[in-house]
Amino acid sequence: MGLASFSDGYSGFSAAVSTVALALAALLLITITVLRASRSWHAARLARHEATWREALLRAMEMPDTDLPPIPRSLLPAFASYWNRIRASLKGPAAENLGAPLRRGGLEPRVLAMLGSGSLRLRLIAATTLGYLRARSAWEPLARMARLPSPELSSTAAQALLRIDADAALDLLAAELVDRDDWSLARLGSLFKELGPDAITPGLARIIASRPPRGAHRIVRLARFGQRKSMGLAVREWLRTSGDAQVLESALDYVEDTHDLAQVRGAARHGDWRVRIAAARALGRIGSRPELAVLLELLSDPQWWVRYHAAQAVTALHGLDPGEVQALQRLATDPFAAQMLAQALADRTPAA
Amino acid sequence: MKAAVEWIGWFFLGYLVLLNGGYIALNLLAIPTLRRRLAREPLATLPTAYCGLEPPVSLLVPAYNEERTIASSVRSLLQLDYPEFEIVVVNDGSKDGTLAALSAAFDLEPYPEAYWRRLEAKPVRAIYRSRTAAGLRVVDKENGGKADALNVGINASRHPYFCAIDADSILERDSLRRVMEPFVDDPSTVVSGGTVRIANGCTVSGGHLERVALPRNPLALFQIVEYLRAFLFGRLGWTTLNAVLIISGAFGVFRKDVIVAAGGYRADTIGEDMELVVRLHRVLRERREPYAIHFVPDPVCWTEAPEDLAILKGQRIRWQRGLAESLHKNIELLRYGGGGPAGLLAYPFFLVFECYGPLLEVAGYVCTVALWALGYISLTQMLLFMLLAFSLGFLLSVSALLLEEMSYHLYPRGSQFAALVLVAIAENLGYRQLVTWWRLVGLSRWLRGAQSTWGTMTRKGSWQK
Repeated sequence: MGLASFSDGYSGFSAAVSTVALALAALLLITITVLRASRSWHAARLARHEATWREALLRAMEMPDTDLPPIPRSLLPAFASYWNRIRASLKGPAAENLGAPLRRGGLEPRVLAMLGSGSLRLRLIAATTLGYLRARSAWEPLARMARLPSPELSSTAAQALLRIDADAALDLLAAELVDRDDWSLARLGSLFKELGPDAITPGLARIIASRPPRGAHRIVRLARFGQRKSMGLAVREWLRTSGDAQVLESALDYVEDTHDLAQVRGAARHGDWRVRIAAARALGRIGSRPELAVLLELLSDPQWWVRYHAAQAVTALHGLDPGEVQALQRLATDPFAAQMLAQALADRTPAA
Repeated sequence: MKAAVEWIGWFFLGYLVLLNGGYIALNLLAIPTLRRRLAREPLATLPTAYCGLEPPVSLLVPAYNEERTIASSVRSLLQLDYPEFEIVVVNDGSKDGTLAALSAAFDLEPYPEAYWRRLEAKPVRAIYRSRTAAGLRVVDKENGGKADALNVGINASRHPYFCAIDADSILERDSLRRVMEPFVDDPSTVVSGGTVRIANGCTVSGGHLERVALPRNPLALFQIVEYLRAFLFGRLGWTTLNAVLIISGAFGVFRKDVIVAAGGYRADTIGEDMELVVRLHRVLRERREPYAIHFVPDPVCWTEAPEDLAILKGQRIRWQRGLAESLHKNIELLRYGGGGPAGLLAYPFFLVFECYGPLLEVAGYVCTVALWALGYISLTQMLLFMLLAFSLGFLLSVSALLLEEMSYHLYPRGSQFAALVLVAIAENLGYRQLVTWWRLVGLSRWLRGAQSTWGTMTRKGSWQK
C-alpha cells in the first residue's frame, strides 16, 4: 500500500505536466504584460500623431495644397486607416481635396507597396486607400487582387477598382459581379449608391445587354442603383424573355406603367411564390379596377405572403376606395382573404 | 487490486489533461478566426450608408413577468442602428402587468392580424400594435414557455430573418448590424450568434452600455473569466470548424425559412436555444444542404450575471439539463456518418466533457481523496493531482486572458488586469469545483426527468441608470 502502490510514473507525469502548465501560464502572463505595455505606448504615440494628422487633414479639406507632416514607415498603416475613416465620411469637394496632400507627399507609391504585404489587414487598408485616392497606378495590382479566391481581398479590391473608374471596372469585373456569391450585394449596393447612377449606368447596361447565363438576378438587383429609366427598359425586357424565377422576381420591381401588365398578370400565376409576391406588388403599383380579379385570386393563394401582398395591393389599387375594400372583405367567402383584407385595411391607417 | 487502482488514477489524470487540453486547443483554433475578424476591423469601422439591400430582421422578444424592465428594453431596441427591422414582443401569459406596462409605454391598440400558424404553439389571445413606435407589435398569448413564445413570434414575424433576444439583454447600438454581417457576406449562413458578455460593474444608460468595468462581487468576477474561457473563445474555436453547437438565446439571428422547415423551437426542452442549433446541424447535414453557423466574437450583447449563490446554482443546473436534453434529443448527429465536424468532433466533445464531464470530474476528485484516505496513494501524489487540476485550469484561463488582450482589450487598466489574474488563480480553488458539482446536480435532475419551465433569474440591475 501507500507510495509503493502507485508507480513513480504517476507522480512524475503529474509533476511534469503541472510544471509545464505553470511555466506556460507564466510565459503567457509575461506576454500579456508586454502586449499591454506595447499597446499603451502605441496608443499614446498614435494619439499624438492623430492630433497632428487631424489638423492637417481638416485644413486640406478646404485647401488641397496643405502639406502633411512626414509619416514614419511604422505609422503608415495607422495613417492610411485614419485617412480612410475621414475620407469615407466625406462627400463633394472636401472629399476630393483630401487626397491631394497624399499624392503630393508621395504616399501613393508607399500605400501601393503596402498592397503587396503578406498581412491581410494591411492589404485591406491599402486597397481601400488606393480606391479613395483613385490611384490609376494601382489598377493592375488591384485587378489581380480582385480575382483572388479570398472574398475579403477580392471584394475590397473590386470596390477600389470601382472607385477608381466605375465604367472600366464594371467591364473588367462583369463576370465576378454576376458569379461571385461571396461578394455581398449589400456592400456593392452601398458602393453603387455612393458612386451615383451616372457613373454606373452605362457599365451595368452593358452587363445586362450581355445576358449573363447565370447570376443575372444579382445584376437586376444592383440595377436599381442605376438611372431608373435606362435600367428599367433593359431589365423589363427580361420580363418577356427570362424563365429564371429570381430574375423575374427582381425585374418585376421595375414595372412602373401599364405596358407590362400582360407580363405581370402572367407572373401572378407563376409556380414560384416569390414571383407571385412580386407580381402582386407590381399590380398594387400600376393596377386599377380590372386587375382586381387577379388579386382576388391571389388572396386565396396557399402562401401567406402572397395573400398578404395581394391584400396590400387591393387596398392600393387605383380607383378603389376603402369602402369598396371593406365591402369585399365582408363579402369574402374565403376566411383567409377576409382576414388579410382586414389587416391590410388596418395597415392603411398607420398607427405611428 | 494495485493494477486496478493505478488504472483508475491514470484514467482520471488522463481525463483532466484531455479536458483542459481540449479547451486550450479550442482557444488556439479561435486564433485564425479572431485574426481574420480583427484584420477586417479597419473596414468594419468605416462609416457606410445603408443601401436598401440589407436583409430586414424581425426582433423577437419573449417576455414573462417582465413588467419592471420590458418598456426600457423595448425602447433600447427601437434605437438600434439598422435599416429595416420590426419588434415583436411576445407576452407569454405573464402573471404580472407586463402587457399593461407595454400598453402604457407604447400606446397599444388591437390589430386585426391574419395570424399564420406555421409552427404549433399555444393560442394567441390578441395582437396589438403601437400607436407611437412604428414597427412594434405585441402578441399576447397563453403561457407555454420561452420556446413556445418564440414559435409564436416566428409565426407573427414578417421578415426573412429573426433575432431572438432576451428581454433583459443590453445591446450596443450597432449590435444588430454586426450580428447580421455573416448573412450579408456569406449566403450559406443560417444562424449568426452574438457574444454575450457580463454587464455587472459596467455603466448602462437608456438600455445601452456606456462604460465597461469590472464588478466588485467575487461571483460575478469569477463568471467574467469563465465566460472568456468557455463561452467566448471556446465557441470561436468551434466556429473555425463550422461546428458551433450553442448560440445563446440572449442574442442570435436565424434564417426563418430554415428554422420553420426544421420545426421551430421545441417547447419540451429547457435549453431550447442549444437544442435548435444542434438540430439544425443534424437536419441540414442529413439533407446535405450547405450551411454555415457563425459566432460573432465582438462584444455586442451584455447581460447581468448572478451575484448570489442560490441564483447561480439554479442557472447552472438549468443550463446542464438543457445541454443534456439538447444532445440526447439529437443523438443521430453522432450516429449519422456525414455529421461533419459538428457530428464527429463537437458533439462527442460536448457529450464527454460538457454533458458527462461533471460526473467524471467529481468522481476524479472523490476517488483521489478516497485513494489517499485508504492509503493507496501518498499525500504527495494526491496533492500532485490537485496541483495538476489547478495548473491546467490556470493555464486555460490565462490563455483566454491573452486572447482577450489580443482582440478586444475591454479591461485596459492595470488594476483590472491584476484583478483578472487573481480571479484566474482563485477560481480554481473552489469556484470551478462548486460549479462542477451544480452541473452534476443538473445532470442527475435531467436523468430523473424533471419538468422544464421558464428560467427565473432575479436581476438586480444596480448598474442601470
